[in-house]
Amino acid sequence: MQSRMLGWLLLLPTLLILFLFGVVPFIYVLYVSFHDWNPFAANPEMVWSGANNFRRVVFDAGFLASLGVTVAFVFFAVLSELVIGYALAQAFMKDFPGKAFFRTIHTLPLIMAPIIVGSIWKLMTTPSIGIIPNLLDSWFGYDLNIGQSAAAAFILTVVMDVWHWTPLVTLTLIAALVSLPPDPFEQAQIDGANKRQIFWHITLPMIAPAVVATIFIRLMDALRTVDEVLMLTGGGPGSATRYVGVHIFKEVFPRTNYGYGSAVSVIVLYLTIVACWLLYVSMLAPRNAKKG
Amino acid sequence: MGFSRKIGASVLALVVAAGSAFAQDLQIENADWWTKAGEQFKGVTLRGVTESTPASNYVSDVLAPKFEELTGIRVDVETTSWDQMYDKAIKDMEAGTGIYDMVYIEQDIVYAYMARNFLVNLTKALEEKPELKAANYSEDNFTTFAQNFRGADGGLYGTPMEAFIKVYLYRTDLFSDPEVQAAFKEQTGRDLAPAKTHEEYAEIAQFFTKWGQDHDLDLWGTTAQAHTGHPASWYEYFESIAPTFGVYNWGIDANNNYAASVANGGRMNSPEAKTALKWWLSMRDIAPPESVQSTWTETATTFAAGRVAQGLIYGENAAWIASDEAKSKVVGNVGVALPPVEDGVMAQAEAGEGYIGYYDGGAFGLPVTSKNQDAATLFLQFMALPEVQEEWAAASSRVTLTSTYDTPKVQALDKELGGFFSMLRDQGKLFKGAPEYPFHAQVREATAPIFYEILTGSIEPDAGLDQMAAKAEEELTSLGYRK
Repeated sequence: MQSRMLGWLLLLPTLLILFLFGVVPFIYVLYVSFHDWNPFAANPEMVWSGANNFRRVVFDAGFLASLGVTVAFVFFAVLSELVIGYALAQAFMKDFPGKAFFRTIHTLPLIMAPIIVGSIWKLMTTPSIGIIPNLLDSWFGYDLNIGQSAAAAFILTVVMDVWHWTPLVTLTLIAALVSLPPDPFEQAQIDGANKRQIFWHITLPMIAPAVVATIFIRLMDALRTVDEVLMLTGGGPGSATRYVGVHIFKEVFPRTNYGYGSAVSVIVLYLTIVACWLLYVSMLAPRNAKKG
Repeated sequence: MGFSRKIGASVLALVVAAGSAFAQDLQIENADWWTKAGEQFKGVTLRGVTESTPASNYVSDVLAPKFEELTGIRVDVETTSWDQMYDKAIKDMEAGTGIYDMVYIEQDIVYAYMARNFLVNLTKALEEKPELKAANYSEDNFTTFAQNFRGADGGLYGTPMEAFIKVYLYRTDLFSDPEVQAAFKEQTGRDLAPAKTHEEYAEIAQFFTKWGQDHDLDLWGTTAQAHTGHPASWYEYFESIAPTFGVYNWGIDANNNYAASVANGGRMNSPEAKTALKWWLSMRDIAPPESVQSTWTETATTFAAGRVAQGLIYGENAAWIASDEAKSKVVGNVGVALPPVEDGVMAQAEAGEGYIGYYDGGAFGLPVTSKNQDAATLFLQFMALPEVQEEWAAASSRVTLTSTYDTPKVQALDKELGGFFSMLRDQGKLFKGAPEYPFHAQVREATAPIFYEILTGSIEPDAGLDQMAAKAEEELTSLGYRK
């Protein structure tokens, strides 16, 4: 009994912090989402509007369009990060001259603030002064202008995200690969399995929890991307890169549409939870059931 | 003392010395009064938030250290991006947290802030506490631009610290080049001179863009602040282009139930507005390729890089473009003129019935939530002292006091800038700040997505303006302003 009390006591600060900074703000956002509230409206007070804001979300073409481009962005960004991250993790598992140096260099993007990343990429992609349009023009005769081309802007935001976050995936997968026991691999080699078979039947199932955890983290991060994209494209050209994070930002801050912005935030949170749950069910649940 | 500590101490001494060197350049009259006035606030740190602009940087780099040196009151001015500045200030004032003692109020947001009673009436505050009033501070010395920061009660709700017009800058070296002049005459049949009409402007722009192509130069005929995802382009159209075609106050009629569409009596989608937009898009199409990613900052850097022959540029950049060799390739070659206008628009502006461009600027306001209101009142007066204005104007081409125009440095720089300050003083009345709308950002953000689609070509300009007018009315109705 005494040890249970001690356990709760030790947990109390964490629970308190979680409650204050996690649960309370969420309840507040939920509360605001059921109101019309714009401090710069003729009536700046909060007015109860029931589920009106949620009804509006469903028919808001701007939100639906932003959701569509966000799904595409998340798919391409997270998939690319996984593939490149795994390849780099495998490369860094081997010994080669300057390995420590390259590993350090490779993690540098990770420690940069998103706003800095966006600024750097904006500088690098501005026509006439940016290194990327200049190189693409001189090498391939390709005229890159992300202020004009929706496809180029979308691809570039994906590339920027991959550049920024792949090191996180690499580090997580290196940790997973390092912890793998050698026996199954040796046994598979003795049995004559090739590299592809070893990857699909041994490596991947064994690192699956780490992969899923990485996908969870990157999925959630990518869904709420704001700063980098805002700096690089401002959500443009047009609404080509107006991802849900940017959409919510523009509703809540410049437009000070707190009620509606909160409703969109709640919906996006719900969709994120659903996406993670689906991922868990499709990737880990069958495996856990088999174990059980 | 260890080696690293010695290095650290040396760096610190250098930084302090550099700061002091700046601050010592300013000679403040009645320095003893400031020292005495500051005594009761010893240990107080004032916090301000502002956009990172040349004028604001002068406040944080020069005025704040000098004020601290005199009064002992520390001033931390946070210079940040435009949207961050609003975000932080509004959240602080709305929540009443009192983090900031001074917030930058751009001329376009002040009506929204006053409508919410976010700001202290500085006139009244100084009347109530005359012991805090500095002898050299006088509201009468402010230029007429200060009227933008007065409330219905006549009180001043912000100390003007930035004021400039968006002007037509052109390259004097190109415009006076005999070879260029001859080619222009041959091609157009008229002499090359700064444009007075849109047709003339377009002709010059087309000529120089072609000239650049023919001579393999990085030169285009015009700039365009035409970012396809940033409000800067929205502003360029509504505040710089549409008025020159006679469409004022964004085409919204405040006296007619805030009508925006022609059907309801507004002018946002009027034939003049549509002509203006199509003309501007045609200029955007022959501007440098970076124009579709340019905001107010980038148009200035494009001009300074010598990449354009002419353009509409925010005046706060005029000084460094014309005089700072470290940043500008066109030093000594910058001319200033009034923006081109349609027939009749100049007459309307002179009669006070319209305007020909944007009179931009801002002030430092004191939030009612500030916990150091008296100390902040001192700093806000300090910023408006005549003796600090000359250097400030020279550093960031802004003038907020009438006495500043007569100072030697400003008069000398005026010549270098092709008469920018004279134009600000004499022709400033032809320009106007943002309309007195408390819903400024809300209407802008509601209509901006449609505007960006027009810029990308997804929506035709005429149909786009129709949609924008309808959207503006919808937003105004939703906000409760339109009945």
